[in-house]
Amino acid sequence: MNIRLLLGAIALTASLHALAEPGTALKADSLRAEPFADAKTTGTLNKGDSVDIVNKKGAWLQVKKGSSSGWVRLLSVKRGSGSSSSSGKGIVDVATGRAGTGKVVSTTGIRGLSADELKAAKFNEDEMKKMEGYAVSSSDAQSFASAGGLSASSIKYLKGTP
Amino acid sequence: MRKPIILSACIALGVLGNTPAYALDLGEALKDVAKQQIEKELGGEKPAEPTPTPAPAPATTQTPSPSPAPAANAEAAPAAQPEKPAINWKKPSREEEIAIGREVTGSILGAAPLVKDDALQQYVNKVGRWVASQSERPDLPWKFGVIDSADINAFAAPGGYVLITKGLYVNLQNEAQLAGVLGHEIAHVVKKHQLKVMQKQQLLSAGTDWIKEKFGKKNKLAEKAIGTGAEISARSLDKDAEFEADRMGMILAARAGYEVYGLSEVLQTMGQIKPGDDSVTLLFKTHPHPDERLAKLGDAAGSQLDNLKPGKTLENRFYKTR
Repeated sequence: MNIRLLLGAIALTASLHALAEPGTALKADSLRAEPFADAKTTGTLNKGDSVDIVNKKGAWLQVKKGSSSGWVRLLSVKRGSGSSSSSGKGIVDVATGRAGTGKVVSTTGIRGLSADELKAAKFNEDEMKKMEGYAVSSSDAQSFASAGGLSASSIKYLKGTP
Repeated sequence: MRKPIILSACIALGVLGNTPAYALDLGEALKDVAKQQIEKELGGEKPAEPTPTPAPAPATTQTPSPSPAPAANAEAAPAAQPEKPAINWKKPSREEEIAIGREVTGSILGAAPLVKDDALQQYVNKVGRWVASQSERPDLPWKFGVIDSADINAFAAPGGYVLITKGLYVNLQNEAQLAGVLGHEIAHVVKKHQLKVMQKQQLLSAGTDWIKEKFGKKNKLAEKAIGTGAEISARSLDKDAEFEADRMGMILAARAGYEVYGLSEVLQTMGQIKPGDDSVTLLFKTHPHPDERLAKLGDAAGSQLDNLKPGKTLENRFYKTR
């Protein structure tokens, strides 16, 4: 069988399957009719509310909560249900064109790094020299950025909240 | 240099020294006095008040003993230091800051070496250097590396050293997410978060060592001091330092032209990992929970990011490691 066709069929099934992804409100926020701050309010979210994420657009997520639905800021909702079970690939992945991810990947065959191991660690000059050898100049970084179509702009840092 | 602290210690001694009953609490008393002093010295973002310290005169009356400095260094870093010059912990120079960072980073590399993949290391250096170029310290000799550990974590050390684990890297989906993670670590370096903790510890231990020498008391505090090894990386910073690094890291990536939500997407992924999972033991021990970090970012952002020009994610260029 044509492998491309098969993959296409799987992808289609996956995206149909992932029409909604569970999410949880991280804080109280308004639901809005459109993904704009000044759009009409269609409902409210309370911290901890379970929602279904149905779409994503820029900085906004479209969510359903019971019978009401609307757009809410992306940073107000965490993906996954409150119990933090991994939810697999969902609408956010589909909407952002991510392939085959969404689940936490773990690397096998290599060790972790514990606090005790860090405390006991001994300086490794060879590895340090290697790391120094990989460093790039700021002009190399600039060319790399240009090659990717990245351009710098000045954006103010956000202020902290109490 | 260390004069004000020595002075404070002397005052503490003047009060407590004669009464043996208090001797056991000496460490604590000193700790408090020294802490206040150190907070005063290091607390401000700006260089300390321009008042020159007229130190020597009163000090001579009470300190006939040698300066605590050599003892402090010998204690804090037993084997490594003999040929290295002492570091001015009160006000380290840029070169000293870099030397401290090199020690810390080299020690982390002693626990987990670099992933043997030249293309990966070069790629991460290019992304990292470009993001760092948007910071207030673009001219540090920034160095980045991916280390061979299944843990999900990233580390910054003074002077421009940033490491991320392979366990974290393989969970990234695009260059904007990598830029966000590196931006968070770059912010720690720019704000000297780790350096300040190390300075406090070094100055405290210098003070306690002096007491120890004077009274021959064993003191637990000195043993807890951080050397210039990797231990700093196993410690928590203030929660506020982490939130600040999140806010700055997010914006540094956006300044570099990336999609601003890269870092928050990574926090979303981390938030879905069960806290009992081995790969996040250290991360969750040393950082606020990702949900809290996301909520804080949301509070800080408000509507300020609404009109940002959309940035790039560059998933096509994102280097997939084997």
